[in-house]
Amino acid sequence: MKNKFLMIAVAVLISSSSFGQKYFTKTGKINFDATTASSPEKIEGVNRTATCVVDTKTGNIQFALLMKGFEFERALMEEHFNENYVESHKFPKAEFKGIIVNNETVNYSKDGTYAVKVKGKLTLHGETKDVETDGKLVIQNGKITATADFNVLLADFKVSIPGLVADKVAKTAKISVTCSLEPLKG
Amino acid sequence: MKRKKKIILYVILSVLVIAGAAAIYIYKEYNRAHKDTAKLAADYTVSAADFVNEFTGNEQAANKKYWDKIIHVDGLVKSVDIDDRGFYSIIIGDTASMSAVRCSMDSVHNKEAESVKPGNLIGMKGICSGFNADELLGSDVILVRCVIDTKK
Repeated sequence: MKNKFLMIAVAVLISSSSFGQKYFTKTGKINFDATTASSPEKIEGVNRTATCVVDTKTGNIQFALLMKGFEFERALMEEHFNENYVESHKFPKAEFKGIIVNNETVNYSKDGTYAVKVKGKLTLHGETKDVETDGKLVIQNGKITATADFNVLLADFKVSIPGLVADKVAKTAKISVTCSLEPLKG
Repeated sequence: MKRKKKIILYVILSVLVIAGAAAIYIYKEYNRAHKDTAKLAADYTVSAADFVNEFTGNEQAANKKYWDKIIHVDGLVKSVDIDDRGFYSIIIGDTASMSAVRCSMDSVHNKEAESVKPGNLIGMKGICSGFNADELLGSDVILVRCVIDTKK
């Protein structure tokens, strides 16, 4: 009987401590920028409803977002983005599943700025590709601010750009990520 | 001879008028602003609980029905999130459940969210961008470009 209690107590402890090692947000910001030198204006959209989870113990990092949540300044640009480029009615979601390669160099209990390398798989427009990037984790008062910039070759994800505007839209889009993560309470 | 000249003149004039009209149309279309959600009529009016249940029950069917549509959602405010740039999200749903309807405010109407407090009964109107299913964090239906739409 005593043993059973002990086992339950240990199980509860383990599960609660592993909960404490996860950080998350549901208001992650993802910027999409496909502006080139020959673009007549900025081709830029922002999504403020991305979900992100970081497991500080394993270094696992995950993003999920809804393509329709990208907001562009011009209504026409937003419609083209959704209807012709990423076809968000067919592929409503994008996600990234990866790992912080140098997770052991980050001390999550100590305030500071840590350079990280992130590697994983990005799924966009129904295509999955390996992505690798450098990012930054800023730890302050028990919260993490995660930022990263990386480029995606649109052709890799079978996003085709009509010939008429091919020279006005960048072949590689710059993706910028900014997430303020809070501890996940178990 | 004079008649021929007149005809040519008319042809040139009408071509110019058509080209001008096309240019105006293209210019207007290019600069078209987003429609103000506050001025759009809702395609569907639902309670937050029913809305979430419909997506949890059959995401595909719910997506087909609601995606890119204008939705009016009623419910209790669970929490109000504000990001580092001052953008508000109003989360409507049962405090006992992890799942909710997350309404990301329209940038033009963002300030209206300042007075919203958890526990308020609220009506929100926004464009449905889909369902973010997550076992760990709870699954949410997302509305973007939202405005407060309490009065009916």
